Amino acid sequence: MDRQKQSKSESLNNKDTAECACSIVEAEDFSFYYGSTMGVKNITMEVFPCSVTAIIGPSGCGKSTFLRAINRINDLIPNTRIEGTLLVNGHDIYAKKTNLVNLRQQVGMVFQKPNPFPKSIFDNIAYGPRLQGTTKGSKLQQIVEESLKAAALWEEVKDDLRKSALALSGGQQQRLCIARALATRPSVLLMDEPCSALDPIATGKIEDLIEQLKSDYTIVIVTHNMQQAARVSERTAFFCLGELIEYDFTPKIFRNPGKKQTEDYITGRFG
Amino acid sequence: MRLSFRYISDKAFTGLTAVSVVLLSLVLIVVLAPMIWRGSSAVVFKATVEFRKMQMDLFNRGEPSELQAEIARTESFRKEVYETLDKFKKGIDTESLSDQARRIHRQFGSELRLRNITGDEYTQLRSLTRELRDRLLTAFESRDIAEIRENIEYVSGYKNDPRLTDTSASALFELGTNYLESAQSIDLKQFEQYSESIEEIEQSIRDLFGPRPGEPTPAGVRLRYGATRWDQAAKCLDRLFWAQKWVETEPAKPLIKIKLSRAHQFAGTELEKLFEYMEQNVQKLLNPRLTFYWQYFIDDSFNSHYFGGVGPEILGTVLITLLGMLFVVPLGLISAAYLVECASDNPAVRIIRMCINTLAGVPSIVFGLFGLTFFILYLFPLLGAESKGCILAASLTLAVLTLPVMIRASEEAIRAVPQTYKEASLSLGASGFRTFVTVTLPAALPGILTGVILSLSRIAGETAPILFTGAVALGPVPKSVFDPTRTLSYGSYDMAVGDRISMMVPHNQYGMVVTLVILILCLNTLAIVLRTRVFKKLKGQ
Repeated sequence: MDRQKQSKSESLNNKDTAECACSIVEAEDFSFYYGSTMGVKNITMEVFPCSVTAIIGPSGCGKSTFLRAINRINDLIPNTRIEGTLLVNGHDIYAKKTNLVNLRQQVGMVFQKPNPFPKSIFDNIAYGPRLQGTTKGSKLQQIVEESLKAAALWEEVKDDLRKSALALSGGQQQRLCIARALATRPSVLLMDEPCSALDPIATGKIEDLIEQLKSDYTIVIVTHNMQQAARVSERTAFFCLGELIEYDFTPKIFRNPGKKQTEDYITGRFG
Repeated sequence: MRLSFRYISDKAFTGLTAVSVVLLSLVLIVVLAPMIWRGSSAVVFKATVEFRKMQMDLFNRGEPSELQAEIARTESFRKEVYETLDKFKKGIDTESLSDQARRIHRQFGSELRLRNITGDEYTQLRSLTRELRDRLLTAFESRDIAEIRENIEYVSGYKNDPRLTDTSASALFELGTNYLESAQSIDLKQFEQYSESIEEIEQSIRDLFGPRPGEPTPAGVRLRYGATRWDQAAKCLDRLFWAQKWVETEPAKPLIKIKLSRAHQFAGTELEKLFEYMEQNVQKLLNPRLTFYWQYFIDDSFNSHYFGGVGPEILGTVLITLLGMLFVVPLGLISAAYLVECASDNPAVRIIRMCINTLAGVPSIVFGLFGLTFFILYLFPLLGAESKGCILAASLTLAVLTLPVMIRASEEAIRAVPQTYKEASLSLGASGFRTFVTVTLPAALPGILTGVILSLSRIAGETAPILFTGAVALGPVPKSVFDPTRTLSYGSYDMAVGDRISMMVPHNQYGMVVTLVILILCLNTLAIVLRTRVFKKLKGQ
């Protein structure tokens, strides 16, 4: 807890906090169960605003479970239950009176496989804002343009926004999904292995994009690729078998990990 | 598996599939082609002047002046036919000849009284004409040519009698000589057969040309016109030229029909040239012309489809189909949405699913009876409506019939939408309902349209469910959904098992069936084109 408080003040000193309107995600003894199977257990960590936090770990360790719990997309699966609390900006998101629509508009998500809707590029991006109630054409046009620019896709598609989103390449589709998530002006952006289905060049573009976005959004990225985690994140959390093993600054995790399990994973003794 | 065997079995499998495709196409062609060929003769055929007359009278179609000119032309040719016939008839119609003889005798009597001839002269003249009349009557009734000649010659002997010249009695001589002329040329032994033949000939001519100009118009529409189609005319001509008789060729074997030439039967008589004349001038008598009767699809029919088209039937089928689709598509979609999205796996839902699957196999007549009992006999009176068959009841029944198909197709389509679309939509803050309507449904549209296509064909073609619930064989064009209607499917059935009149117009029977096939083909093509376009849009082309 002390170390985390120290990191928080560091982050506050390192950024212009007046510009940063991002949220804080806090997990306190959070556990998630699929029926009787455990997903994650006793997670206590704080995600810091306006930074990139990476979650690494071997397959099946609960990284995606934890990520998907943050915007409650796990509710789609029947027979799940939680223990503990998960706070976004101080609100308990698993409380009975939580407005799911609000939550999901504040916490955006980008999935592993690009999944644009079978509609036009414009309609894909405008989907979120339309849900929020924006119907004026000019306002939508503005939001779409801003989102596409933020996702570094504007130059490539600006000529024909009515083209079907499925006609884009894989990397473009993923950037479209990022733009779509950004259109609702979220404060937290969750990314579940966003580059695993893409080629290296597209991956590089997405990583550059993450670099650009981190000053305005709180980003939590789950990744299998340790080098990617080392490249893009400020802090890294290491999960194993459903538990949080270690959570610290990225350079420290990769050069001088505190726990042996972390070291074994980093050096590749188990995968 | 050895490589060569695998290769052979691969090739065999490919060959088998190719053969089955070819076989299927052949069967389709063999079944459809004759039907379409015969059915198209209801629309494209050689129409005679009678057809154009009928079109003008019943449907107000055609140029009146042109038609009149055509009628005048054909009648000038037909006049010859009638005249020949009349002349021959006059010659052998002994009954009317006898009547005429009697009439002339009576006329002479009144003429004498007018001229104030009385007393002995009157009695003398009258007994003379009486004798002449009786001689004529004997001649008319005799079948022995020698006897006839004797009597007629006796009568003709008085031709130049000054007391009878320039009087009405002189007509007697003409009567006699005319009869002798025709009697000499015909075989008197066949006299009875002649009258039978004459009747048949006259009937055939009436079938060909319609009623004679000057005859009163018959009450039945069918009898007012002659042969309207060239193929019909050919059949009448056949009956005209050939007499059909049943003869026994071998004892204890069934009789066979043989054809005897009528021209041969009347050889040597006045009537012989009738046949020759008709054979040579058929074109001019009827004036056949290749016609494209596209109004077949919009015209009403007269006299059990003897004349006219299938317009009301097409309207009925289209109305029932559209109304049925209106009921089944939303209901099927919503049920499928419930089953996929909301229903949890409890026993109640499982029973519902089992019921839906079972309903798909129920015979359509059972649905018809259900529709009659539930909608017409129970529901309509409950809601205050009249308890009779109507378009509404028929479409409701058909909707219930095709509901299982629609539900199944929609369910499959909705299930096939990738979960990722749903996740993406939910993570953007959409509610479950919003996600379903704006993302899942559009993505499931091709599969749903498949269900729509299957339902469409079923509803348009089913006959049993509408038998008791809304279809009639004859009736007016429906004015509202609470009226019964004629349909193509029921009409085809009715014509096939129906009356004599339907048998006379096979082209109409085929035409109705082919219209149904073409209608369903068009509706299906429309739906398939729509589905292909939606599918392409979803794929991103």
